[in-house]
Amino acid sequence: MTLNSIRYILRETAHSMKRNPWLSIASVLTVTVSLVILGFSVLFLANASNMAKSFESQLEVATFLKSNTTPEQVKVIQSQIQGMPGVASVTVVTKAQALIDFGKTMGGTQSSLVTDLGGTNPFPDKLTVKASDPQKVKALADELSVLPGVEKVRYGQGYVDKLLTFTRWLRWIGLTVVGAFAIASIVLISINVKMNVFSRRREIQIMKLVGASNSFVRWPFLIEGLTLGFIGGALASGIVGTGYNWLSMYIQTTLTFLPVVQNTDLFRQIAAGLVLAGMAMGAIGSGLSLQKFLRS
Amino acid sequence: MIELTNVSKTYPNGARALVDVNLKIGKGEFVFLVGPSGAGKSTLIKLFYRDETPTRGQVQINGKNLVRMKEREVPYLRRSIGVVFQDFKLLPNKTVFENVAFALEVIGVSKNEVKTRTHATLELVGLANKENAFPHELSGGEQQRVCVARAVINNPALLVADEPTGNLDPETAWEIMDLLFSINKRGTTVIMGTHARAIVDKMQKRVIAIENGRVARDEEIGGYGYDT
Repeated sequence: MTLNSIRYILRETAHSMKRNPWLSIASVLTVTVSLVILGFSVLFLANASNMAKSFESQLEVATFLKSNTTPEQVKVIQSQIQGMPGVASVTVVTKAQALIDFGKTMGGTQSSLVTDLGGTNPFPDKLTVKASDPQKVKALADELSVLPGVEKVRYGQGYVDKLLTFTRWLRWIGLTVVGAFAIASIVLISINVKMNVFSRRREIQIMKLVGASNSFVRWPFLIEGLTLGFIGGALASGIVGTGYNWLSMYIQTTLTFLPVVQNTDLFRQIAAGLVLAGMAMGAIGSGLSLQKFLRS
Repeated sequence: MIELTNVSKTYPNGARALVDVNLKIGKGEFVFLVGPSGAGKSTLIKLFYRDETPTRGQVQINGKNLVRMKEREVPYLRRSIGVVFQDFKLLPNKTVFENVAFALEVIGVSKNEVKTRTHATLELVGLANKENAFPHELSGGEQQRVCVARAVINNPALLVADEPTGNLDPETAWEIMDLLFSINKRGTTVIMGTHARAIVDKMQKRVIAIENGRVARDEEIGGYGYDT
């Protein structure tokens, strides 16, 4: 490809976008709208899985030991549980610690509390066990309950199952939304490019008649697709960024219990991803639509 | 220069446009293709610039086999063949100059050369003073001159015209014929499909008549030969 050709192709691309301003604007807007939806879907998915993870990470098995357990035995049981498969962490709350914690919430001192309670500490030793896989909390709890020295376990029976089902659904809905809109975006863009090629079929026909090579015919459309996709992607990432910022601020002040993702790296990746996706869609769309025209 | 051997063309819908056509056309000839509408003239003309390929038989131009030719070689073939259409096929939003220069630009000719050659070619077809006009501002004859200029700007060895005077009044038609004739005199082979009886009878050139997809008549110095 000579320098003359490159100059000509760039000029043609600019001309064609100026000549069909409405089609160019329509293409850009289609890319923008689809990518805005795609961007928000990705953020929704990120939040859904973040929410699911944060709910799940709160799942733990409270293991209460028998009241006659000595501090040495507590240590033995702790290391025993630590060694079990599927256990992520074990934290000990000794009966003395439990009493102090309780005292703090009641506002009294430890000695006066013990006196008040009739000279004995009624709290059992507690081991807080986290499972490495939240889905296996129930199985882990069953295993822990039969260990010697364990009085009883509590892990929010019933509540856990419902929560896990809910988070699973949250993930699936997020994935489905992203998938559906990705497909819709590609279809819309390829229709737009086809219209663009159709409006210039006469020009393409003449180019081919006077002996322009296929790549020469293809380049201006590819560059046009890339440019329009780039503009659409940039607009989309701007809208998604601003919109998400505004939305997350609103949620944080009104629905404080919802964990909102605020990850700058993720935002950068999404912005870059949207721009690249726009360019890829534009280029692939125009390439595919042209293939049929060029074959004749 | 051009040789068709046992060429048949059947379209996918079953229509038999050409049946066992054998033809030889020499360098520098001027040939009229005549025959009723739908007889296969246009299909035959399309074979010359490889807009169509035959379903059977061989087409050779300047020693190149157009049937076995690879798709990516076609652009280079087309650069040595000029095509003129009944409906001119000009780009409406380009000026006369741009329409003609287009044929050079898309094959990567330098800007200066495009300028010089386009000016010279427009001079040749008598449109030097209309360079900046748009096609809709021109008469039919002038538009056809632009189309001819675009077809010959690459100095093609072969000029193919499908009813180039079909949309023009008789007087303008003769102007276009004079132009094609002068191009032929410079050594370019010209093949022209036409229904214009007066032109064919007057020019006294080779006439090939196509009927029902077959060569019905091939005379060195012929006439139109049909009642209209």
